[in-house]
Amino acid sequence: MILLVDMDAFFASVEQLHHPGLRGKPLIVCGDPQRRGVVTAASYEARPFGVHAGMPLQEARRLCPQASFVEGNPEKYVALSLRLLDLYLEFTPDVEPFSVDEAFLAVSGRGATLEGAVEIARSIQRAVDERLGLGATIGVGPNKLIAKMATGVHKPRGLTAMSPEDFRRWFWPREVRELWGVGPKLAERLNALGIVTVGDLARAAPASLEGAFGVIGPQLREAASGHDETPLVPYHRGVDPKSMGHEVTLPEDSDEADYLQGTLLRLSDQVGRRLRSEGFRGRVVALKLRDRDFVTHLRQTTLPHFTDDHREIFQNACRLWRTLWKGGEVRLLGVTVAGLEPAEKASQAELFTTHTRDGLLRDATDRVRDRLGESSLVPAGALTGRSRMSHVPFGPLTKSWKPPAS
Amino acid sequence: MFETLNQPVDVLTVYLEGRLRPLRFRWKGRVVRVKRVTGEWSRREGSHRLAYFSVEGPGAETYELCYDPRGPSWTLCKAWSG
Repeated sequence: MILLVDMDAFFASVEQLHHPGLRGKPLIVCGDPQRRGVVTAASYEARPFGVHAGMPLQEARRLCPQASFVEGNPEKYVALSLRLLDLYLEFTPDVEPFSVDEAFLAVSGRGATLEGAVEIARSIQRAVDERLGLGATIGVGPNKLIAKMATGVHKPRGLTAMSPEDFRRWFWPREVRELWGVGPKLAERLNALGIVTVGDLARAAPASLEGAFGVIGPQLREAASGHDETPLVPYHRGVDPKSMGHEVTLPEDSDEADYLQGTLLRLSDQVGRRLRSEGFRGRVVALKLRDRDFVTHLRQTTLPHFTDDHREIFQNACRLWRTLWKGGEVRLLGVTVAGLEPAEKASQAELFTTHTRDGLLRDATDRVRDRLGESSLVPAGALTGRSRMSHVPFGPLTKSWKPPAS
Repeated sequence: MFETLNQPVDVLTVYLEGRLRPLRFRWKGRVVRVKRVTGEWSRREGSHRLAYFSVEGPGAETYELCYDPRGPSWTLCKAWSG
């Protein structure tokens, strides 16, 4: 059986754990609370006021003025996430982290049955609560899809186990957008075909789905039936990342070209640095631009070779930016490199295009940063408008955003 | 309310089972007793790893302390007083 352990309002709960006086009170985790930005996470006490992740801070303040606004700290959350993984490993060796606050676990032996897996899930919930003081919701099912969807049935501190029959009984009458992997746009397209519920999708003709959605059409139908054969990949085996990126909400909307370019250079530098430190190169450079009306524009370009060089990432990001930007005010910028390969493998393909001199310079600056920290050396152009720059969170972009297919 | 301080402080510590724990620190001319460590994490800065502690004071107020092995030195990063 598969378990999905989903930590309840993880970032907010960690802050409440670290600051006991905030427990039981509305708490909102965000970037710098003095600057604008969006809600990263809201405690369960803040949610009844309508506050949710992704909402502009200004709106969250209006809805819940009594909330405490806390600047998020990724290192804190990663530290606890690693402790959670250690805890899960006491129950099974097969643990696949799905995000900083979610992990799939495969349980066998007494966990081979739904009832046995539920007992293990209860023990995990108890251990998470007693040892770390946190709440977890667990979904149990015969595959990852059902386990994932079961976690959404009852929160917080919920425990929902579903057989394929339970899945069909519960989800088939529900809107198709509730199916894991179906976003609002895909749901609209399905609705336009007369597919309104998960059950409609499960009963749809495979040929018509394939005609409308290509290869993912039949996959969607399988998912709607509760079928999923995606293997669980234990984290000790490691999974290569597919993309690495950084994005930043600007402190103020800006239409200043120099400032926007400086921000792109800073983001490109961070992405390049991360690619090199983790040993990857990529061929796809993608740009994300959100305008003042909250409309998000995405564009990407494929390079003829692999790169981990911030200048090359920046040049391509700039080129994309020039095609996307029409001179209006920009709220958010993001740069991502996708199509990753381990650097060793990628460099074999690039044997004759390596720029040795540039490479040596990069290695030297990397060594300085390794020793003295990230801010010890930065590209001069990234300092344009420095006083107005907000911080750039570390880590990949959210899973929900992927570069659009070209 | 959270207050960002980033002030150097003297901290009395103990190594307990191989782990560094702050016991008391001096701030604004008074000694604050650490009732409980509520959280700890670390951050890499260059080749050094800085250790952070969330600690609870005697009156349920909380503080964030940072140990920097380069000094070595301690910094009171933040205070939260409800």
